[in-house]
Amino acid sequence: MFAQVVVGGVAAGCVYGLVALSFVLIYKATRSVSFMQGELLMLGAFTAVVLVEALGWPAWVAAVAAVAASFAFGLVLERAVLWRAIGQPHLTPVLLTFGLGLVIRGAVTSVPEATHRMHRLPLPWSRPLTVGPVQFAPEHLMVILATCTACAVLALFFRHSRTGLALRACSEDSGVAAMLGVSPAAMHALAWALGAALAAFAGVLLAPVTFVEPGMGMVALKAFPAAVIGGLASLPGALLGGLFIGLSEALAGRFLPDGVKDLTAYGLMLAVLLLFPRGIGEIGRRQ
Amino acid sequence: MLGCTIRTASLLSWALIVTVADAGVPGVTRDSIRIATIQDLSGPIAILGAPIRDGIVMRLDEENARGGVHGRRLTIAVEDSGYDPKKAVLAARRLLAGDNVFAFVGNLGTPVVMATMPLIVGAGRPHLFPFSPHQATYQPLQPLKFQIFAPYRDYMDAAVRHMVRANGYQRVCLLYQDDDYGLEVGRGVESGLGRLDMTLVERTGYKRGATDFSSQIARLRAARCDLVVLATVVRETVAAMREARKVGWPVDMLVTASGYSAQTHELGGAEVEGLYGVSVLPHPYPGTDTSRRLGEWIESYRTRYDADPNVWSAMGYQVADIFVQALRAAGPGLDVAGFVAAMEGLETSRDFLGGPGYRFSPDDHLGNRRGRLARIVDGRWRLITDYLD
Repeated sequence: MFAQVVVGGVAAGCVYGLVALSFVLIYKATRSVSFMQGELLMLGAFTAVVLVEALGWPAWVAAVAAVAASFAFGLVLERAVLWRAIGQPHLTPVLLTFGLGLVIRGAVTSVPEATHRMHRLPLPWSRPLTVGPVQFAPEHLMVILATCTACAVLALFFRHSRTGLALRACSEDSGVAAMLGVSPAAMHALAWALGAALAAFAGVLLAPVTFVEPGMGMVALKAFPAAVIGGLASLPGALLGGLFIGLSEALAGRFLPDGVKDLTAYGLMLAVLLLFPRGIGEIGRRQ
Repeated sequence: MLGCTIRTASLLSWALIVTVADAGVPGVTRDSIRIATIQDLSGPIAILGAPIRDGIVMRLDEENARGGVHGRRLTIAVEDSGYDPKKAVLAARRLLAGDNVFAFVGNLGTPVVMATMPLIVGAGRPHLFPFSPHQATYQPLQPLKFQIFAPYRDYMDAAVRHMVRANGYQRVCLLYQDDDYGLEVGRGVESGLGRLDMTLVERTGYKRGATDFSSQIARLRAARCDLVVLATVVRETVAAMREARKVGWPVDMLVTASGYSAQTHELGGAEVEGLYGVSVLPHPYPGTDTSRRLGEWIESYRTRYDADPNVWSAMGYQVADIFVQALRAAGPGLDVAGFVAAMEGLETSRDFLGGPGYRFSPDDHLGNRRGRLARIVDGRWRLITDYLD
């Protein structure tokens, strides 16, 4: 039963981690904290549902298309609105993204079919995988595998592609990167687009677990502490922070008194901020 | 002291009613009666608000097609609160001052109802059958407040006692949403168990928006529960059942009326087979075992709205139906005092929708306190008991 709880915690942690990755990606490249990641996650999931239910596309094709559409949407948002926050005080992008989040949420809830019933994204298989005493639910398995794949792709992108290296350079020092021929404006747009795509990816993965409804973006409330725990500037740290929160919550829910589970994410965030202000990645560096 | 306060409040309300009557009856003309409803049509519970509105409008239109009540056509102003009390207060003010409506019927959502009810009652208008199972909607006794939906506590008390007696459960546990709703259900479950000299073996909560229930289910399983009461809504009901079945735990579960929805089996599929639920009104399924009258109603609803009716459409239809019956009983010389007197003597019989009979009196403005049990069998809810006392 312990192993079962751990598997559930890891799957939840993967989703937190993916959304936290999107927070961190945007923060590193633009020094902006985005408060619309939950809404982008919800929009991505709804896009996939529309493609499946209205156009009859296979779920996996719809999922890929929804992530691609979210990438494009992030790009459009950046070109239309978010670039104006460059060089502005920190509060500007916070308020801007908060407002955009409200607009996205309002737009989705104004569609009757979105609010009048919940939707589900069908999975190609439904039988749980049994390994010894542990049952892997197909949706949990998919979340874990997809997160591992996404992390591998992101690692390759940031380490071995010119664009990824340029984005990293820009996030370290945009002035120096510009002198080396990198366009900070293009990297700014790319960061927002990738952030939107990652949030949508998390939404598509979450869709078979929690169903698609306008409130599903609330998961971002747990992802933000995960990003902070990871140090807000470290991509592996964000993923680790997500897993840390997912696992801690699951174990607290099983073994600690009722109600402690819901405080775990925020309690851990406060503890990490007090003890390791640069995130849990600092622990390794200190040693 | 409390009795004195209630009496004073009642007298003040009657004084208001008389004042309003003297100024002409709001919303009532020689050939029409205008009423209002505040629904959530764009917020988190729009999934309930839209069918409730459709059910209410359908019943009023039926009455109008028959010539109205005592020759008066019924019209309704529908406002969208988005489940936001601030918006709801603005809507209520607009409806009271601008539309000048006679009564409010079936307002949706406890936060909305708690924010708007004082305004409505304060303006001397009847506040009828809100979709908010909160005691304040009918107590303390007040001439203008009437309700047909009892608090969850009442339904769950009777449902748990029946389940324990019928199936001999020894270890009853609770999975609850950590808010007023979950706590109210918890009180009902504890009350029911207390009357059987039993106590809750284990309880575990979750916050709205929770994505993973593995730790809660593991905790309940470790407590060796043989019945888990779910104070959940549709999504969490399915998630809890799915998690239990996934880990091979065939425990019986009983969900409140909030989980009694066709969406529960539509989304949950085989994993929610066997789930027990509390039903206040049966889900209107089309099919061979449906009565002719109900079949016609379903067909009429489908034709009208191009969608299947659900239990919320039926409830909307029913609250409008009780209102129409009270209007008839109030007679042609309609005013607020006469309407309240008619409501206090109203006793309805069971209808084709399968709801209970509702009975109001001058001392009791809650028309029904009973629910019945249903179970998901072959992918749909089947009623398994009559209304429980």
